[in-house]
Amino acid sequence: MNIHAPNSRSVQVLGIDAGGTMTDTFFVDSDGDFVVGKAQSTPENEALALIASSEDGLGAWGLSLGDGLKGLQTGVYSGTAMLNRVVQRKGLKCGLIVNSGMEDFHRMGRAIQCYLGYAYEDRIHLNTHRYDPPLVPRNLTRGVVERIDMFGTVVIPLREESARQAARDLIAADVEGVVISLLHSYKNADHERRVRDIVTEEIAKSGKAIPVFASADYYPVRKETHRTNTTILEGYAAEPSRQTLKKISDAFKEHGTKFDFRVMATHGGTISWKAKELARTIVSGPIGGVIGAKYLGEVLGYGNIACSDIGGTSFDVALITQGELTIKNDPDMARLVLSLPLVAMDSVGAGAGSFIRLDPYTKAIKLGPDSAGYRVGVCWKESGIETVTISDCHMVLGYLNPDNFLGGAVKLDRQRSVDAIKAQVADPLGLSVEDAAAGVIELLDSDLRDYLRSMISAKGYSPQSFVCFSYGGAGPVHTYGYTEGLGFEDVIVPAWAAGFSAFGCAAADFEYRYDKSLDINLAPDAPAGQQEQASKTLQSAWDELTRNVLEEFKLNGYDADQVTLQPGYRMQYRGQLNDLEIESPLPSADTADDWGQLVDAFNTTYGRVYAASARSPELGYSVTGAIMRGSVPIQKPKIPKEPLEGETPPEEAKLGTRKFYRKKRWVDAQLYRMESLRPGNRVAGPAIIESDATTFVVPDGFETFLDGHRLFHLKEV
Amino acid sequence: MAYTRAKIADLVDGKIDHDTLHQMLSTPKDPGRFVTYMEILQDRVPWDDRIVLPLGPKLYIVQRKDNKQWKIRCECGHDFCDWRQNWKLFAKVHVRDTQQKLEEIYPRLMAQTSTWQVLREYYCPECGTLHDVEAPTPWYPVIRDFEPDIDTFYKDWLGLAVPERAEAA
Repeated sequence: MNIHAPNSRSVQVLGIDAGGTMTDTFFVDSDGDFVVGKAQSTPENEALALIASSEDGLGAWGLSLGDGLKGLQTGVYSGTAMLNRVVQRKGLKCGLIVNSGMEDFHRMGRAIQCYLGYAYEDRIHLNTHRYDPPLVPRNLTRGVVERIDMFGTVVIPLREESARQAARDLIAADVEGVVISLLHSYKNADHERRVRDIVTEEIAKSGKAIPVFASADYYPVRKETHRTNTTILEGYAAEPSRQTLKKISDAFKEHGTKFDFRVMATHGGTISWKAKELARTIVSGPIGGVIGAKYLGEVLGYGNIACSDIGGTSFDVALITQGELTIKNDPDMARLVLSLPLVAMDSVGAGAGSFIRLDPYTKAIKLGPDSAGYRVGVCWKESGIETVTISDCHMVLGYLNPDNFLGGAVKLDRQRSVDAIKAQVADPLGLSVEDAAAGVIELLDSDLRDYLRSMISAKGYSPQSFVCFSYGGAGPVHTYGYTEGLGFEDVIVPAWAAGFSAFGCAAADFEYRYDKSLDINLAPDAPAGQQEQASKTLQSAWDELTRNVLEEFKLNGYDADQVTLQPGYRMQYRGQLNDLEIESPLPSADTADDWGQLVDAFNTTYGRVYAASARSPELGYSVTGAIMRGSVPIQKPKIPKEPLEGETPPEEAKLGTRKFYRKKRWVDAQLYRMESLRPGNRVAGPAIIESDATTFVVPDGFETFLDGHRLFHLKEV
Repeated sequence: MAYTRAKIADLVDGKIDHDTLHQMLSTPKDPGRFVTYMEILQDRVPWDDRIVLPLGPKLYIVQRKDNKQWKIRCECGHDFCDWRQNWKLFAKVHVRDTQQKLEEIYPRLMAQTSTWQVLREYYCPECGTLHDVEAPTPWYPVIRDFEPDIDTFYKDWLGLAVPERAEAA
């Protein structure tokens, strides 16, 4: 980004976003300046792309890899390796211990798992539904005799011999991990922990070393399939990922770094690769952008932000309201329902690599849902792709520079796109090639726009009260299209849009979070004694979770007094179905008065999220869960602040013109080099602002202004 | 975009991996699919009368070579009836209408109550292939599964000429 003053930099923070298409690195120096590196992903050995991407990024600063890495204080990783391991069922061989008589529930799964991750058309197309193979096969599942009911009362005592037999069977079957998940163990963990100890004893007797995962130690939360799936992921997928992360960490250490990598986790904080609960790093890439937007919003004073990210394969939207993220408690990933706190985000399978096909009968244009991913489209000869993609339309219409894709690392051929679109789309529809391509882009833009609008209005807001952040490699190409006419308060494209997720990773707190289900139900006029008891119940859950959080930090060498703890809880009006996550206004709860304060905090949040008139406290309140978050301070990227200069862009920023097609006519779009534009510059469309890693399209009827934080503001004029 | 003949043959055999199958199901049907599909089926049956439309894995509407009449035929070559009739009325029927008969195929206590629901199995009288099973209430008439509008399908959907048809005397 900032290519002036190339020497004597001290590079401090590294953020990594290893996506399916591109591997981005984001370096921050001690002045808060940053640079983005990009390389194509190398799924076979992630370290290769990471090193290449780092060389690319540091090269822009004129630094060699060794010089750049030696001063690094910290590094954050986010990637898709663990997810792929689960999707491809290439995890470890685990055994599962459940209640006797319940041995089939994991194999059967929840019905929703047969269509999770499908496009809407496929969800209602029953023939496409299918069940994936279970993570643990039936022949490695054993039952033990015991039963605890939903109130936590022992109905059948644990028959220890059945646990011992189950353990011996699984040990003899040479499993690489044993997962224990008993009914209602979140409510009463005694039996499950006893089974865990028995299994551990049997493993010790056998002389083998097999890790044991009891659900109550990891995810003591309601919903059996969710809890079991998540605990299995710890043994099945997280352990191998630990090895991968260690390899990456080591590869960087060979080049001179001196720290352990942290990983972006689903709850929006970063955790160490040594963490006990590593399964929560299964999805992290798209979250980085949301965290980055939240951080920018905090520093610059934007409270309501609509985050939008277009990459090669999907369009992801998340809302930040009043500076707060929404956390989803039972998300799904890799077609599994899970018990992980996840930053809520909605996705549609439409990105720059999405395939375009014509229905041969109706001639309707169909976008995706599959995509060329990192292989761009027909325009890249070496990709082997034959079906046209959105990127091919961009090529035809002059949006992209064929010689400057990834800074020229990948040479694209416009003529290949023209020929392919002519044969596959334009001729069958009786259109010219440019009208066909423009039609596809308009269709995509209106799809994304409708989607963005419905997401915001479904939550009871209007776009007028939101600032829209647009990032991702392909985001700025489409920003004008999917925001046009929605009336956002402001539309912002960070100059480092392509590396925004990696930036977000670097900006994330070092934070652990533990959750536990609770069932506290209180009438509105409950006597003080009951209110006091409710406070104490919540506090004892917080105590348990605090121990887990501190234990995680201890693995990384942090003492309890260095950790800032933030308790939270999930509360709802009794009888309602949806709860809200509330940050506790109190550090601990003990008395009836404390309970009153917790209720007040809930009522305030409810009024803000929905409406004050929608409150319904008549039946009282329920606490459904306790949350404990702990964090330690880390170095974060500084947001740049440069003085404004004149409105006219400098001559050296101009790169000539290119033919650009929109609304049925060709125009000459002025080309600019993004890095050479100065704060204060104003650019009127038609213009295309190019950088190595992204392209920002400003069509006629639009204008953009670059502010002192290197943020572009896009406006309709 | 069209799939190769080998790919369609794999589809008929159920040998396609999930991802490819999913893609085939959710993308528009390739224009030449029906013709390819019929050629593959035609190759696999032991007679050479033309298949007009498949009705099941081993059941077809065929055009008889000698008199151009359309018949419903089992893979083994047995003709059930004219194509406009319900072939089930010409099949061997086995009705499981007692608990004992149902428990031949279900574990005890896991079968339906035979006074509420019965199973009717329709077999080819010549080769014994089980072509269909119904699970209606005991008094329910024989179900007519499918009355295809073949003329419209050929002319308007596929853009093909309707095979010649001599009405049965």
